[in-house]
Amino acid sequence: MSSNQLHNDDSILEDLAPEVDRDLHSKHVRGTALLWLIMTVGGVLCGIYLTPRLMPHMFAKEGRDAVLTVQVFTVVAAPVAALVCAVALYSLLHTRHRASLEHPPKDGKPLRGNALASGAWLIVSTLLVVFLLFWGLTEWSAQQVVHADSLTVNVVGNQWVWDFEIPAQKVRLEGDKSLIITKAISMSQLNLPIDVPVTFNVTSKDVTHGFWPVNLGIQVDANPRATTTVHATPDRLGKFVVRCSQLCGLNHAYMYTEANIVSDSTFEAWVAGGATKPIGSLIAKGAA
Amino acid sequence: MMSTALLEDTVLSPTAGRLYRRQNALTGLLFGVGLAVLGWFIALNTVQSNENFGSDMTVAVTMTCWVIGFNIGIGTFNAVFAWVLGHDQSREDELYGAGVSQGRSRYFKYCTDHKVVGTQYLILVFVLFFVGGTLAMMIRTQLLTPNSSFLSPQTYNAVVSIHGMCMIIATIIMVSGPFANFIMPIMIGAKDMAFPRLNAMSFWVVVSAVPPLLATFFVGGVNAGWTTYAPLSVQDGPAMICFAITIITFVVSVTVAGINTLITVLTMRAKGMTFSRMPIFVWASVIGGGLGLYAMPAFLLAMTLMVADKATGTSFFVADQGGSGWLWENVFWIMGHPEVYVILIPPVGALMEVLSTFSRKPVFAYKMIIGAMTGVAGLSIMVWAHHMFTTGWAPDLAGPFMLTTELISIPTGIIFLAAIGTLWRGSNWVRLPMYFGFLFIWNFIVGGVTGIYLSDVPADNYFHGNMFVTAHFHYTLLGGAMIAATAGLCYWFPKVTGRMLDERVGRWAFWLIAIGFQVTYMAQFYEGFKGMPRRVANYDPVFRPENLVSSIGAYVLMAGWVVLLYALVSSWRNGAIAPANPWSAKSLEWHTETPVPLENFLQDPLVINDPYGYGGVASEQIHAVFGAHAHHGANNGDHTS
Repeated sequence: MSSNQLHNDDSILEDLAPEVDRDLHSKHVRGTALLWLIMTVGGVLCGIYLTPRLMPHMFAKEGRDAVLTVQVFTVVAAPVAALVCAVALYSLLHTRHRASLEHPPKDGKPLRGNALASGAWLIVSTLLVVFLLFWGLTEWSAQQVVHADSLTVNVVGNQWVWDFEIPAQKVRLEGDKSLIITKAISMSQLNLPIDVPVTFNVTSKDVTHGFWPVNLGIQVDANPRATTTVHATPDRLGKFVVRCSQLCGLNHAYMYTEANIVSDSTFEAWVAGGATKPIGSLIAKGAA
Repeated sequence: MMSTALLEDTVLSPTAGRLYRRQNALTGLLFGVGLAVLGWFIALNTVQSNENFGSDMTVAVTMTCWVIGFNIGIGTFNAVFAWVLGHDQSREDELYGAGVSQGRSRYFKYCTDHKVVGTQYLILVFVLFFVGGTLAMMIRTQLLTPNSSFLSPQTYNAVVSIHGMCMIIATIIMVSGPFANFIMPIMIGAKDMAFPRLNAMSFWVVVSAVPPLLATFFVGGVNAGWTTYAPLSVQDGPAMICFAITIITFVVSVTVAGINTLITVLTMRAKGMTFSRMPIFVWASVIGGGLGLYAMPAFLLAMTLMVADKATGTSFFVADQGGSGWLWENVFWIMGHPEVYVILIPPVGALMEVLSTFSRKPVFAYKMIIGAMTGVAGLSIMVWAHHMFTTGWAPDLAGPFMLTTELISIPTGIIFLAAIGTLWRGSNWVRLPMYFGFLFIWNFIVGGVTGIYLSDVPADNYFHGNMFVTAHFHYTLLGGAMIAATAGLCYWFPKVTGRMLDERVGRWAFWLIAIGFQVTYMAQFYEGFKGMPRRVANYDPVFRPENLVSSIGAYVLMAGWVVLLYALVSSWRNGAIAPANPWSAKSLEWHTETPVPLENFLQDPLVINDPYGYGGVASEQIHAVFGAHAHHGANNGDHTS
């Protein structure tokens, strides 16, 4: 039978074993290790240089935390993912059975397991998980620290607009300056002074929405009859978009508005002017 | 020794099967529609007048009547009625029920033969994937341009919701339906499933669940996504009722099927088929089915309460009346996360069979794979709130849920280890199933690595609710589970259909699928990195190029599936006749005739080794012996384990 012939052809190499088996074996290991090294380096470089370029400029530490996490996790995952891909690719490149696809090739080595490989794999993956957890918890708990004198902003989700309100309060600006807001300010855009810690109290008038000031890197749902809280300190001048991240019905796609992070003086001027003018016009003036 | 006469050639008396003789899919349809019309008429003249809930109640009554009527018409309740009336089924009735003397018409009947049920499931899965895929094409067409008006926002939301649920149903049954029914009992040397009538029931019940799902489009559409978060879903029209009836019916089917799988493996194994000799796919079917028994009832409960909220004015999930949307989210994800692994574990089991057979090697670390699948299943019931990191519900639980979620990557890693350990120094016979095997490994690595970003709360606060999540779960469920299931399909196709699959056309399909998939979802990862929210009908023009690329990729992907479907259908009709064991594989399904006879084996198997003796010494090479060595009649109830 032709399959037997094939087996014979195929097995010439293998029949030289066991003397050269060790060499062959290390040849396989070397080939795979080379692939692994190339892929790991590729993955690490992607993690360090590519991922931050895929994400927008962040306006708060929370956002930069997210970017850094993606970088670090990519670097950490790269060697493991590369090993899986390297073995798969090596076995693909090293396909020995090309003569005929009609018949099964000779059996491979009956490796039913390897305590060393399995043990090492378990230990390494456990250590990686411990690292991921440590990383996540450290970042998360640092983000949970609430500044005692933060600016309170009430956020209300409606189908399908965001409403913001800065209640009457004393706002501590940079350098022990303070700004007293005597009357609650309602706004349809999120206007905030730079470098002032903000506490967002978020709720909804109808269904669940997702409050997502994209470039701050924070997110919390707006639930009816409940108030959820989230914190961030915008530290970069400019504007970005506040979106809804929770499907909320017909015009979910259109539930977004602008956020403006402005300087102290612009913010003060805007409040002094009754907080009615579009803050954009003041930014131009402030810059001049 | 059994006589050479085949059971399926038995000549039955003209009354065998009694009522079943007059029942088929058409009578099911007639009874279903008939009872639905009757229910609708009664509801219209009674409950419809309730100004708050009238139309919801009417739809609830109509859809419930459809499901019950269809199942009466097809014969789901025959045996129960007959038993109550004191007419137990005779052997002839049972043979008729198993499809004897009915030719192809048995595929349209309440047939108890597990191979018929498996084939029926396979066709249903094709239909559901075709519907879900068509809806996906509508979504991607809408998203070709930023301000497209191809679909209205209302229709878009309805399409997104039903695409999701249709695919979830299809992927839950894509392996547990066709292969855990057709292949798994043969793999363990059983003559049929433990409960053949329940097996037929599980299929026809899920069939009856499909029309209400599609009916949603005609009664206003489901607006709230497949997750149907309350209170948005409670705002929805009667479509939400249809959706809930679909789920409730579907859960009945999955539960019945899961129990059947468990009991079959526990009690129907051939002599010598000890637990440590069972193929990995059997283990995967048991673990997936068992996990379904935990997960799916929560869905039934949630949807029952949802129907109550909508149709009777209770307020489990309505915050304005003392309920809580968070309650819905919790119950939903207590189902929803284990469900991911109900989908994933059986295809991974199938994949292990493929990798072993085509590497011509034993599966690597057999016992660790079983431990890993069990560990994944166990952990998966404790991770549900990672879907709720950004909801504001219990922020102090972020840490614990981050822990359980990240722990899952340890057993998942072992499955990767087993996959590459099986490939390592294997012979790599690159037939079509193996193509999909390699594709699975790549896709699942990408899905896994992107999953660890999402498990991290600070990173999730950026990615949650955006296209990154969409891309991630498509990499795991479509690129992972569905590609592994496709590997399994190509592997078992010769056994199921008796024909060889046309691999030349199949390879074309493979390349279209492989490339189309990467383009589609890599573009969506990029959208997610840039901050595009998911489930939007229109989007900011800054996301234009990547959406265009993603849509083009999606068309290529769909073209690939259509080509694969063509290969499957044409090979099924005209392919080369398949030998019994085209892959020279060792597990039992390859060591019985093709087509597989009724009750599966002409001579009972006696299992002496696990089915992975490739490359081993002669005594390990043989999985089972037949006939003279095996004690006849040892199949039902008499086991060594």
